[in-house]
Amino acid sequence: MKRGSIWAWLWVVLGAIYFFLPLYATFDFSLRLKRGVLSFAAYENVFNDARFVESFTFSLQMALWTILVSLILIVPTAYWVHLRLPKVRPFVELITLMPFVIPAVVLTFGFIQVYSKSTTFFGIALPSILSLDFFTLPGLMQVRDFVSSRTPITLAFPIILIAGYTVLSFPYMYRAVDTGLRAMDVRTLTEAAESLGANTPSILWYVIFPNLRAALLSGAFLTIAIVVGEFTLASLLVWPAFGPYIQLIGANRAYEPAALSVISFGLTWATLGLLQLFTRGQQGQIAGAR
Amino acid sequence: MAFLELTHVNKLFTQGHYAVDNFNLSVERGEFVSFLGPSGCGKTTTLRMIAGFETPSSGSIKINGDEITNKPPNQRQIGMVFQSYALFPNMTIAGNIGFGLMIGGKSKDEIKKRVGEMLDLIHLPNYGDRYPYQLSGGQQQRVALARAIAIQPQLLLLDEPLSALDAKIRVELRAEIRRIQRELGITTVYVTHDQEEALSLSDRIVVMNSGKIEQVGTPFEIYNYPTTAFAASFVGQLNLIPITVADAASGNCAFNGISLNTSQPTSLANGSSAKLALRPEEMNFGKVDGRNLLDGTVESITFLGSIVRTRVDIGGFMISVDLFNERKITLPQVGEQVTVNFPAHACWILE
Amino acid sequence: MTHTDSTGTPPAPPKTSSSLWAWLGLVPFFLFAIAFLLLPSLSIFINSFQAKNGSFTFKNILDLSEPFIRNAYWNSISISLVTAIGGGIFGFFLAYAVTLGGLPKFVRPFITTFSGVASNFAGVPLAFAFISTLGRAGMVTVLLRDTFNFNIYDAGFNLYSFWGLSLVYMYFQFPLMLLIMTPALDGLRREWREAAENLGANSFQYWRYIAMPILLPSLLGSMILLFGNSFGAYATAYALTSGGAINLVTNVIGAQISGDVLNNQGLGYALALGMVVIMSLSLIGYSWLQRQTERWIR
Repeated sequence: MKRGSIWAWLWVVLGAIYFFLPLYATFDFSLRLKRGVLSFAAYENVFNDARFVESFTFSLQMALWTILVSLILIVPTAYWVHLRLPKVRPFVELITLMPFVIPAVVLTFGFIQVYSKSTTFFGIALPSILSLDFFTLPGLMQVRDFVSSRTPITLAFPIILIAGYTVLSFPYMYRAVDTGLRAMDVRTLTEAAESLGANTPSILWYVIFPNLRAALLSGAFLTIAIVVGEFTLASLLVWPAFGPYIQLIGANRAYEPAALSVISFGLTWATLGLLQLFTRGQQGQIAGAR
Repeated sequence: MAFLELTHVNKLFTQGHYAVDNFNLSVERGEFVSFLGPSGCGKTTTLRMIAGFETPSSGSIKINGDEITNKPPNQRQIGMVFQSYALFPNMTIAGNIGFGLMIGGKSKDEIKKRVGEMLDLIHLPNYGDRYPYQLSGGQQQRVALARAIAIQPQLLLLDEPLSALDAKIRVELRAEIRRIQRELGITTVYVTHDQEEALSLSDRIVVMNSGKIEQVGTPFEIYNYPTTAFAASFVGQLNLIPITVADAASGNCAFNGISLNTSQPTSLANGSSAKLALRPEEMNFGKVDGRNLLDGTVESITFLGSIVRTRVDIGGFMISVDLFNERKITLPQVGEQVTVNFPAHACWILE
Repeated sequence: MTHTDSTGTPPAPPKTSSSLWAWLGLVPFFLFAIAFLLLPSLSIFINSFQAKNGSFTFKNILDLSEPFIRNAYWNSISISLVTAIGGGIFGFFLAYAVTLGGLPKFVRPFITTFSGVASNFAGVPLAFAFISTLGRAGMVTVLLRDTFNFNIYDAGFNLYSFWGLSLVYMYFQFPLMLLIMTPALDGLRREWREAAENLGANSFQYWRYIAMPILLPSLLGSMILLFGNSFGAYATAYALTSGGAINLVTNVIGAQISGDVLNNQGLGYALALGMVVIMSLSLIGYSWLQRQTERWIR
């Protein structure tokens, strides 16, 4: 079945041109800050910008929180569903597919309406979580008026943002964990462990988690890729994340955005490359922060 | 002239390794030939070369005098049945069976009629509108067979078609395949690693090992008169007793000093070490005049249903002795001293 | 799998206490889902039927037919259709080339990883990448102008238009299609092709009668996924058009949230509701097609 190789090469080449040309053009553009000379000046500017470091760190922290929350919610759920309550599976899967039905914009809209003011919801007064003052975690900076001159939604700890990110990460986390559970035949392993005298916590600790490592890492890396590049939630909820920062630079500067694009692309590549390294060939998951 | 002829067919994979080495075979029209051998012996590769999915590195393949070695598979008029059934999941059973006819441009009526005939032939008359996923493995394989036959191929190829099925279904389907083949008289090549299948189905068996043909013959010949050590030990159970050749001309040899007669002379020199080949079922217990006799101790007895297999230590060497089961049989005890007897014509000297 | 006792029946399901524990284990997840999925959705649904003074009304829904809004929906749907079909076709061919095209072994993992990256590459980075390439001072624009004396902007091309945006969207639509279709193409068993050839079919007939029908549910399902992906996209359009030049539903909702444009809360809700309805329909279509495929392929 070696026919059609020329055709195959044609498509690959066309695809490669389409994908690499913009990247090359961006890279080239990012080197032209100094007139007539190719230099990394734009990159220097970016790295020296305090806001770059701050927003990137902020997004990274958000990613870590999201991973934590997501894991706490998803892993036990997937485990119980897989092992004891298979009937609930369709419901759970439907919930994890929600981010597809409710895109980030709409989700944000809903968040704000429910949590930003005291609303009466079927006659029950809901306090506004968004306007509650919470403790500040050490190292987490205050909200700053970043993207626009709108009055930022005041909140010391971005609960809603993390909640939103968690929702966005559901499909990938759940699919990663579910695939991992399926691949290791949870039921048989649990039964084998039980017959040797282990109780549930031991099983989870010694058997389930170690075997899920690859799946968990895969989900974690994907979440990082999604959260760090995310724009919609961060911008509309007015948080100083990496996404809005890039947007700000893009609106005001010429060469630095190109540098940021290259950096951002390189970061995503590194993250997903690491993912491939750790999962070594498991079918690629799909991410999309649009 | 033979119907299917393979002449000096070779298939070279990389690193100078021959998957198929100098394969020569003539198959008569209507004959049922099996390729039998362990995994990796080249039997499937050869079959695929006949079908056209692999090309020989050298040699020629002819059907009915036509050179087909380089013809594309869809022009060879050969029907093939795969181990994994390979039914098209998006078509009904009727659609599957009629596929080759549709491609061949036959009329709708003709196709309908033929599909009906095929369904009757495989005893699944009302299954036309069902889909493959609704059928059991055995049923799917029958449909696969019908699909291959519907186009009235000049040659039928089967690639380990029964390996994926349960034991009982396997036996039933085996008989079906043979019945249909006999009824329609299609020349057939059957690949398997299961000797029972090969023995029960074939007119002739081709025993293969490491890409080479070990022996070609009828089931009776292969079993009772194997010409190579491999063929002898691959098909059926075989005892190989270490002996020294005493008299090459008369075929007399010695084991632990005991004289044993075979019926054929051997080409080996007197005094050389060799093996005495002997099937377990040819032996019996008791001192009988005119037969070879060996004394030993019963080491174990295994009841296999219709056969009782005893292991006997004849003086530093274990042999298997098979007896037919009878309800009134008195079996020897473990540890009992027995004498094993077998006629001279039942054994022969192998290198 | 499950043990059976001597009578051949599977054992009774686990005792209530462990089931109870299992249910409790699910509570956090469901609470989270209620708080952050159900409530926001319900809020949107209910509030889209509320007028400014709080009374029940259909006006918001009806206002969706206002020209400005209709235009937004039309644009969003069009761009989603275009990029779904275009991305679908090209992504499929690329997936085919990579799986069945007989290419060297290193090509596929490379393209797969790259697709994973590319499908996640959106927003300002992507917009800027295309501005650098096909913007008015972009590399390709300049190259064509200086070398071939061909000014694409004079010829009518504009990166900041509908077609320009579609081209940019393709950047994450192709890879998405590729990532979804590659496993489906892997699922085309070699024996089906061989069996077909055996029975006399040539390449075209194999594709027409067997491969395409088998792949069709996956193909359509993926395109629906692409449609939804494009419909819900916000960041890229925002970055490329700075929030306004092209009228898209996501942009309008975004503007609504920022309090910029409409200042009609109810209408914002209705917009969001409209979006959810369209996406739900897509998801239903996708699930149905998924089930079709699973039924055949065992």
